[in-house]
Amino acid sequence: MPIRRRLAVCLVASSLALPTLAQTVSTGPSIPETTSAINSPTPLSQRVVAYDIDAKYDAKAHSLDATETLTYHNLTGQSLDTFPFHLYLNGFQPKSTWVREAKLSGSRDTSFEKWESNDYGADEIKSFEVVGKGDFTSRLQYIHPDDDNQDDRTVFQVHLDQPISPGGFVQFKIRFHDQFPRTVARTGWDGDFLLAGQWFPKIGVWWHGAWNCHQFHAETEFFADFGVYDVRLTAPQSEVVGASGVEVGSVNNRDGTKTVTYHGDDIHDFAWTVSPRYKVFNDTFQSSMGPVKLRFLMQPAHWNQVDRHDRILKATMDRFERWYGPYPYKTLTLVDPYPDSAASGMEYPTFITGGTPWLALKGSLDEPEETVVHEFGHQYWYGMVATNEFEDPWLDEGIDMYSQFKVMDSLYGPETSFLNLWGMTAGQREFRRLGYLRVADLDPITRKGWQYASEHSYVGIVYDKTPTVLLTLESIIGEDTLGQAMRTYFMRYRFTHPGGEDFLKTIEEVSGKDLRWYFDQTIYGTQVLDDEVVNISSIPMNWYKENPGEKKGEEFTSAVWIHNKGEFILPVDIEIKFDNGEKVRERWNGRDRWIKYSYQKMAKIESVEVDPDHKIAFDRNNFNNSRTAKPNGAAASKLANYWIFLAQFFAQFLAWWMV
Amino acid sequence: MNGKIRLVSAGAGIANGNKRYVVWFYLLNLALAWFGTMAFSRQAHAILDSSLYSDKLLHGFDVAVLNELLTRPEFGVRAGATAPALMFAVLFFLATLLFMPGVLLGYASDHGLPREEFFRACGRNLGRFVRLFLFFAIIAGLASAILFGVLGVLVKAAESSLYERLPFFTQLLGTTVIFVVLTAIRIWFDLAQIDVVLRDQRAVRKSVTAGFRSPQFNLVRLLGSYVVISLLALAVLVAGILLWHAIVPPASVLGAFIISQAMLLLLLAARFWQRATAVAFYLRAAAEPVDETQPVPRIAASSVPQVGSGI
Repeated sequence: MPIRRRLAVCLVASSLALPTLAQTVSTGPSIPETTSAINSPTPLSQRVVAYDIDAKYDAKAHSLDATETLTYHNLTGQSLDTFPFHLYLNGFQPKSTWVREAKLSGSRDTSFEKWESNDYGADEIKSFEVVGKGDFTSRLQYIHPDDDNQDDRTVFQVHLDQPISPGGFVQFKIRFHDQFPRTVARTGWDGDFLLAGQWFPKIGVWWHGAWNCHQFHAETEFFADFGVYDVRLTAPQSEVVGASGVEVGSVNNRDGTKTVTYHGDDIHDFAWTVSPRYKVFNDTFQSSMGPVKLRFLMQPAHWNQVDRHDRILKATMDRFERWYGPYPYKTLTLVDPYPDSAASGMEYPTFITGGTPWLALKGSLDEPEETVVHEFGHQYWYGMVATNEFEDPWLDEGIDMYSQFKVMDSLYGPETSFLNLWGMTAGQREFRRLGYLRVADLDPITRKGWQYASEHSYVGIVYDKTPTVLLTLESIIGEDTLGQAMRTYFMRYRFTHPGGEDFLKTIEEVSGKDLRWYFDQTIYGTQVLDDEVVNISSIPMNWYKENPGEKKGEEFTSAVWIHNKGEFILPVDIEIKFDNGEKVRERWNGRDRWIKYSYQKMAKIESVEVDPDHKIAFDRNNFNNSRTAKPNGAAASKLANYWIFLAQFFAQFLAWWMV
Repeated sequence: MNGKIRLVSAGAGIANGNKRYVVWFYLLNLALAWFGTMAFSRQAHAILDSSLYSDKLLHGFDVAVLNELLTRPEFGVRAGATAPALMFAVLFFLATLLFMPGVLLGYASDHGLPREEFFRACGRNLGRFVRLFLFFAIIAGLASAILFGVLGVLVKAAESSLYERLPFFTQLLGTTVIFVVLTAIRIWFDLAQIDVVLRDQRAVRKSVTAGFRSPQFNLVRLLGSYVVISLLALAVLVAGILLWHAIVPPASVLGAFIISQAMLLLLLAARFWQRATAVAFYLRAAAEPVDETQPVPRIAASSVPQVGSGI
């Protein structure tokens, strides 16, 4: 063949080969751009991860064997050669950091009075392959970024010989075996029920220029990147299965098992549950982005409460949509967990657990309602605005608690009580305030989750102080303005990982006010507010004459003394009522230790009240916020009457049985 | 059933004929409780009287506000408020122990018991009643420990069942059984007390034996009577609370006081009704003749059984 012809043939052949080559390059690892699990034509997040998991559950042993293929997209802008992973289930071992902290300082879940074999949980790596680079099983290294506990195995890292370049992909293939503990910290089994949370090796998050992959602590939750999940769960055919994402298929296998396939888009976690006794109820909610399939998995004894769960869930979804923004996923699963298990009240993307007793008297105790509202709220504060639950627990739990108050007020009236029985009420705001005041001066809101002084402080500050701070903020910038700020915050930061300053700056931006003085005290500080009406007095001008003050038309000089007993500086309103019906309002900036007001009027002071509109939600002592000129013993007499009744009843009961 | 009704009505007749005992005990109960709760009352007044926030306890009843009050440093140590109430409850128990012999003697008499005889019976039988109480405490304590222990095991086993309501029903049934058993023990010692008083029995052990044997043939009747009266007392308690909530305005201290005291008076009357029923039963079943040499209260001849009637 002449050379020119050969050259031409080569050129043609190579040009034909190029697309093939290009195809070969483009069929490397990638993150799917699927949208079948969301009501959106395009992905909603910057997808960093894609998990593809095949898992087989052994119901008798409460264990699981699985293979996970994790594709990671390096969007950090730097080359990466080290990758840390969470193995949360390893936290439920006697020497782990989680258990050690629970034993030493308590936890919301258990303090492990006695270790039993059922308490043991594990996530054991059987093999770890970096696709294209070989087996790295023997090169896994457990690390302890938060403490020196060499026995803690909740974080490991792998170091690659060749870094992954910015924009590149790396794929890990991990075989692992899970042993689920008896339910603890909202994961595990109880009876024939399993809730599988934090059950697979999960890669850390590159955040603020470094890996953020904390050990599992007794008072921390989780943090992960957005991505795509494809999970195939194999379980006995008798099991009813529920999971995050949408169910895309179910196949019965010959060995008596079935494989149910789920797919999730733009989520950062995946949880699932099985029980042979779930009763299933399906409904649909029409969100602004499209229909959302609601799936309720109820315990048989609670089946009569399914309508209650359905109503409150839809009402809550409606409010969140209107107030903050759309719910974009095609599904939401609500699980009613095994009774008295530690699996109630938890959130995962598109999957929440409630919890209710079989005797939940509607109107007397709003237990299922409160839990459902709170856990759905996490779909926004945590699920979509995916804050770092290790370092900023207040940004999801605290903000969600505030949202919960607003939803409950909207549905049941202002200042909702969760108890309404025989004339007794129990205001949820009051209890949150009391929870905060018990630990008021221990920790700032911005403390990292595992660094709080105690479990009580963690709960009191994160769950109780945050909503009271936000409620009081309403009085400074207005309820509507704060609502607008929350909406802006959600719409701006959904599907990202914002920090505390992002939230605070959004509020300042929307309100147009400099609120640093407030945030420095409430968010970053531990100052406590305690305003007190120390004294009120009115004396007749002619006090030196016989029978002063008894004639009509007498003039009085009156004085009011207000004292700031705490360290918190907050401008407050003060209302002074006179016995002729007149009211005077003063505004005090609270900067000095005390202030006195004097008046000369044809009337005496009847009462004085700090914050008469009751907008301040975190004063240390509400009893000293007001003072009346004339004492009214009715309330104390009522209480004394109750106490006498109880004392008499007890005495009679003792005598009845013992004599 | 007719026998049970006759027994219950006989007891009601006796108790009704001696209403003054119920009234005295009620007044004693009220007086002791009043003293016992003074510390609490004083502390509550100090914080609430001049505060507008107390309105949340007066108009309505916010448990959170109550919780805040009780945890205020100014309120003082909670024991300072609760301990006196408990102490006075124990005093009432001791007073009941002291005066019950006089009451039982009064129930057994077919005439109004003179004050001297009442107090003489109280004084003579105080030591015996203390010993009887100790016997009762040991036996009832052992029975309670065993029964509650078994119940605890059963409830724990029920909790591992997949049927969620099983623990609740197990607890309910078990508590009912325990109540019946403890009531039977209470009957035993009520009859022993009556025997000690009416037979002027110094050897308390003999009365304990007598009390154990006497209801054997009629335990169902007497137990049924006690249970019926207890259920009526429970009904009074529940109805009283519901009435309290329904008709007494939240801010009405007087209304709440009247209803609560009426409930307590009726509850006390129910216990005295039981004691009177036991006396009626004892008198019908009494077997041993009266010893002429010992001073005994006059009892209606028709109610004294003949020798050898089986006690």
